[in-house]
Amino acid sequence: MTPQSLLQLTSQKCTTGCPILDRLLYGGIPCDSITEIVAESGSGKTQICLQLSLHAQLPVSHGGLAASSLYLHTEFPFPFRRLHQLCLSFRSSNAHHFPVNDNPCDRIFVQSVHTADHLLEIMSKTDPFIENSKNQVPVRLIVIDSIAALFRSDFDNTPVELKRRSSLFFKISSKLKALAKRFNLAVLVTNQVVDLVGPNEGINGLRIGNLVCLHTSGRRVCPALGLAWANCVNSRLFLSRNEEVIREENEKSNGQSCDFVKKKMRKLYVVFAPHLPESSCEFEITREGLFGVER
Amino acid sequence: MEIWRLPISASQRGKLISAGYTSLSSLSSISSSDLARELKVSESEAMNILKVASHSRGSETSNASCSIVEGAQSAWDMLHDEESLMHITTSSADLDNILGGGIRCKEVTEIGGVPGIGKTQLGIQVAVNVQIPNDFGGLGGKAIYIDTEGSFMVERAFQIAEACIEDMSEYNRFLRKDFQECKIKMLPQDILENIFYFRICSYTEQIALINYLDKFLSEHKDVKVIVVDSVTFHFRQDFDDMALRTRVLSGMALKLMNLAKRFSLAVVLLNQVTTKHTEASFQLALALGDSWSHTCTNRIVLYWNGNERYAYIDKSPSLRSASAAYSVTARGIRNSSSSCKRIKMM
Repeated sequence: MTPQSLLQLTSQKCTTGCPILDRLLYGGIPCDSITEIVAESGSGKTQICLQLSLHAQLPVSHGGLAASSLYLHTEFPFPFRRLHQLCLSFRSSNAHHFPVNDNPCDRIFVQSVHTADHLLEIMSKTDPFIENSKNQVPVRLIVIDSIAALFRSDFDNTPVELKRRSSLFFKISSKLKALAKRFNLAVLVTNQVVDLVGPNEGINGLRIGNLVCLHTSGRRVCPALGLAWANCVNSRLFLSRNEEVIREENEKSNGQSCDFVKKKMRKLYVVFAPHLPESSCEFEITREGLFGVER
Repeated sequence: MEIWRLPISASQRGKLISAGYTSLSSLSSISSSDLARELKVSESEAMNILKVASHSRGSETSNASCSIVEGAQSAWDMLHDEESLMHITTSSADLDNILGGGIRCKEVTEIGGVPGIGKTQLGIQVAVNVQIPNDFGGLGGKAIYIDTEGSFMVERAFQIAEACIEDMSEYNRFLRKDFQECKIKMLPQDILENIFYFRICSYTEQIALINYLDKFLSEHKDVKVIVVDSVTFHFRQDFDDMALRTRVLSGMALKLMNLAKRFSLAVVLLNQVTTKHTEASFQLALALGDSWSHTCTNRIVLYWNGNERYAYIDKSPSLRSASAAYSVTARGIRNSSSSCKRIKMM
């Protein structure tokens, strides 16, 4: 066994496609590590996943991984139309990197997953799949959207079942990390949130990471799957969305007046990461994708 | 007994005995400046005494040693050993204070906490700080970093190494204004080179590596700390036989303890937190169970208190229970910046 030389071990990152988000993440999603995105439904998790699957195909000089991606989805249906839309705008802004008749969607491999055991089965088949892909465009990004859906229904609330569930978390995480290390992959996992009810929150109210409490849509939430899963991921990002009332100045014919307008405020927070400080930034979702907003 | 045989003057002999040095082995681990202070003689005289003592020890046969059992040490000798042990600073003065100077060598220290509290940061900080040269109060040694989770980010280690070198230069400028020869020639790259990094992907690899460390350490005698981040991860999968898991873990802990004692290095084990369900309420406990919690010499628990990160000495044979606040900054682990920080004694 020989130690690895740290000087040759530079962690590659996959760009998110937006310079503001990349700056927050110090380059993008790191390889050889599991990054988790936690958010309630409709906050933009799938958007980020699709965007990353496309941008992973960019050459390394432009922040990508020059790679194809494996997209494992657990919630149906897979957003093919949205992927197509994002693909068009990706093509038009990055046309010089790809040949004319190329379709970036060809390099995103989609697989549906039904249960946790199914996921383990798929991962044992992923090894040879990624090995073979080295001949064409190697797979260097695995997205699991979302991991929570696999565990929300199969397990009863008894200690034995919960123990089995935790054990599965570590097994899956261990396999993912082994894959990530072997092929230098970036792994992106999305997770859902559960509500925190009442002042005495119990184990769910335990503070994990930089934020005392996660807020979205005016409610207090915490990531699903609990403390055990939190130990399995390397970094956690939180997307929040809130409706904010903003004063907008309007010029009307009879002088200036202001309207109170409801605006959707979306923010991305770093909950914990070994290489990132506590930070956050605002973002918006447009037809072209998800982009950070500098205020 | 052997002091009588030393070719030194009667007054020196008398001073040695009244100070308590009655055997040659008690003189083996003391430095000349300490001896001079204790005997109230000049440093050159003390050096002479030590030279004579080591000379006569070398020419003596083993059956002249006054230990009853081969390899046993008298408590007096052990006290001297302990006092001459160095600590690895954590770069946070408050944390160092409750630790009695820092992470201690020859002992296994377990550090546990929730995700995001700073365990990996502390591990990297210790791996960098062990390399602080002797002139600055450090051990000037190398580090072994065993990464089981993939949390080690080279760029973060580089950042912490850079900050450490900057702090040393600051210290240099304040205290050694005239000594130009103590210029810092270290670069962050040198610090990274002195960290032996191993990435482990399964529990069998982990056990194999710990077994291999014996050989590795005999070849690299300047390693002064082993950091395992984290020791738990691969053991939390389904082990059909829990008794096997306990045996494997205790075997591993024993080996690490042996390595710590034999090579005089510090072992830092980072652990995760799990919940223990007791009578419908939950309690947080370090993972790996009760039998594991007996195997480490010291245990530090990291936790959140309001908006601050705190470290609490949960178990230690020589330190008292206390907690101290610390913070994780861009430069690494530092003192907490809040104005009302206080070290709480329990």
